[in-house]
Amino acid sequence: MSEFELFYYIICGILTVTILFGISLMSKVKTAVMGNLISAIATAIAIVVTLIYYDILSQSVVLTICLITLAIGTYIGMYVAKRVKMIQMPELVALLNGFGGLASAIVGACTMFTSKNNFELVTSILALIVGALTFTGSLIAALKLAKLMNGRPVVWNKHQLITTTTIIFIIITVVLTVVNRIYDLEIPVLALVIIALALGSFFGIAFAIRVGGADMPITISLLNSLSGVAGSIAGMAIGDILLVAVGGIVGASGLLLTQIMCKAMNRSLMDILLGKTSVSTKVTKTVVEHVKVEEKKADVDVSDVLKNAKKVIIVPGYGMALAQAQQLVKQISDTLEKNGTEVKFAIHPVAGRMPGHMNVLLCEVDIPYEKLYELNDINDEFKDCDACIVVGANDVTNPAARDAVGTPIYGMPILNVDQAKHIIICNYDLKPGYAGVENSLYKRSKGVTLLLGNASVTLKQLLNDLVEVNVKKQENKSTSELLKQAKKVIIVPGYGMALAQAQHLVKQLSEKLASNGANVKFAIHPVAGRMPGHMNVLLCEAGIEYEQLYEMNDVNDEFKDTDVCIVVGANDVMNPAARNAEGTPIYGMPILNVDQAKHVIICNYDLKPGYAGVENPLYKRESGVTLLLGNAGETLKNLLSDI
Amino acid sequence: MSALVIILIFVVSTIVGYLIIKNVPSLLHTPLMSGMNALSGITILGALTTVSIMTKEFNAVISGIVGGLAVILAMINVVGGFGVTHRMLKMFNKKGSK
Repeated sequence: MSEFELFYYIICGILTVTILFGISLMSKVKTAVMGNLISAIATAIAIVVTLIYYDILSQSVVLTICLITLAIGTYIGMYVAKRVKMIQMPELVALLNGFGGLASAIVGACTMFTSKNNFELVTSILALIVGALTFTGSLIAALKLAKLMNGRPVVWNKHQLITTTTIIFIIITVVLTVVNRIYDLEIPVLALVIIALALGSFFGIAFAIRVGGADMPITISLLNSLSGVAGSIAGMAIGDILLVAVGGIVGASGLLLTQIMCKAMNRSLMDILLGKTSVSTKVTKTVVEHVKVEEKKADVDVSDVLKNAKKVIIVPGYGMALAQAQQLVKQISDTLEKNGTEVKFAIHPVAGRMPGHMNVLLCEVDIPYEKLYELNDINDEFKDCDACIVVGANDVTNPAARDAVGTPIYGMPILNVDQAKHIIICNYDLKPGYAGVENSLYKRSKGVTLLLGNASVTLKQLLNDLVEVNVKKQENKSTSELLKQAKKVIIVPGYGMALAQAQHLVKQLSEKLASNGANVKFAIHPVAGRMPGHMNVLLCEAGIEYEQLYEMNDVNDEFKDTDVCIVVGANDVMNPAARNAEGTPIYGMPILNVDQAKHVIICNYDLKPGYAGVENPLYKRESGVTLLLGNAGETLKNLLSDI
Repeated sequence: MSALVIILIFVVSTIVGYLIIKNVPSLLHTPLMSGMNALSGITILGALTTVSIMTKEFNAVISGIVGGLAVILAMINVVGGFGVTHRMLKMFNKKGSK
């Protein structure tokens, strides 16, 4: 061993240790960024070291090829890393994984031509096969995750037989390759390469196509492991110890994650590989009927339950990811916390489509990771929590896992959601989850509220209810007082008043206020309603004097002297965003200066943006705004009776 | 370097890696996986070597196409993987410091 080689091996050793150190830093959030950087820098150094050791720097042709391709790869990699959205993370990881696998396969294929002994030959053909199956398997997984392919498991006729045969052929090919060399059978290497490539690729497809959506965390972890193994074997073929070592580490990590995922899903790895995934898909109709009744009953008190809860645990699942409802989850958690409720998140290890999927999504919407708890850390807390909100999770909450012997999920660790005093389930439907086992929670008659449908819709509803409760509580005392004492009131009608046919109530309200000694005016925006002068017509119909109706320009300066402004079903025409939200459709539109009034009472149906789709910042204003949501006919009646 | 030593290196690094990675909490599993994914692009070393060997044994065209493809793929894996991991971790960390 020359001194140069010795030096090279020492450097390889140091780099391996550095990478291991980097990985060990990944175990804490605070140090993880540094850990990742260290690993990245070590990889960069390894590339440079390789360029030097194999004397590539002095070969101009090779160097040119290497530098150009390195640059292309770097550019594409950076582009991808910058552009990808967090929601696309699973498919990106799968795809990148596949690239690494294919690269290893190519290295293996090339080395087959140049191998000098049997060890090199065997390892290179193995690298080729494992790399190829990693590539095709990852590609299928990525397609499934990106929904470019049906996510359900595809089982071919005699699937088992086909895969077994493929494995046997693979073994034969490897043996044949060695025999070919020893006994000089004169089978061209190229033919062997093509056969091995075909068999490996086919096996990858056969294996990945049979895995369904919810088993993806396991598959991705396994493919991750395989791509490391492929690299490691390729390293054996070319005698690159750094490649062997790092590939081995990656292989181990993937295997570890695979184990964790399997345990969390109560699956054996063999079952996944053999495609024993989903079981029955039968849905019992009785359950569905049950719900209709419960839904009605529950809707009444669900916001009160949450409002009065001291402690709430939120359980997110893949449904949240599908509905992209993480932002709403965050808003609900914020609202609850504002009420003084303690909010925690319970994350099952296999929730979602890849390890840690939920953590990434929740983190993306600024939920601090301290609030995210692992299964074991939070499971004892369910019995103390007042309410548990399940968002698009099923199997991981299914109590059947404890006692339904013989079902696929029996024995799987689950979140003890059933111990919570009240459970709010925001799932898309009542179908059994991926494992095909019915969730007994759905049938429970007490303490369960089912909010079915797209989670982003049901959660929004829930949020609106919560906000409303909030608002009512604080405002009931003050709003009527304010109105009674107001000297000057401006009423802003909009299309919502027309929809609710609330103009008569508006008239009663204005008369009542006038009799209290207030000066009541109406501010009519030119485009309020669905036709020019729409509001004027309606108000006149209700018997309001047209002298009381003011056009925008005539009344706009008076808002700042107004004690109370009542908005009835108007949104865009008084949206202050029109003044400063550049680029939005309403930017520059003349609006009523409602926001200048001392107090604003908004009687709108909901908090959704108006026709223009621009959020109204007034809704979020902390002081001087009262939101009375719902049909204006109802809310105005309440307001009237309060005065 | 003998086959035995190489296999030994594989076994040792696998075990050490396994022990270290065991400490990573499930909170960070996605970044861990995408970081490992980036590291699996270490096969870039093999790809670079292949370009060199192929050029010597055959010619620059084959080496450029085949080896070059391997380098590009592996490099996308490395850069994309580390980049995305970095983005994710920064996201986690931002919240941590709040």
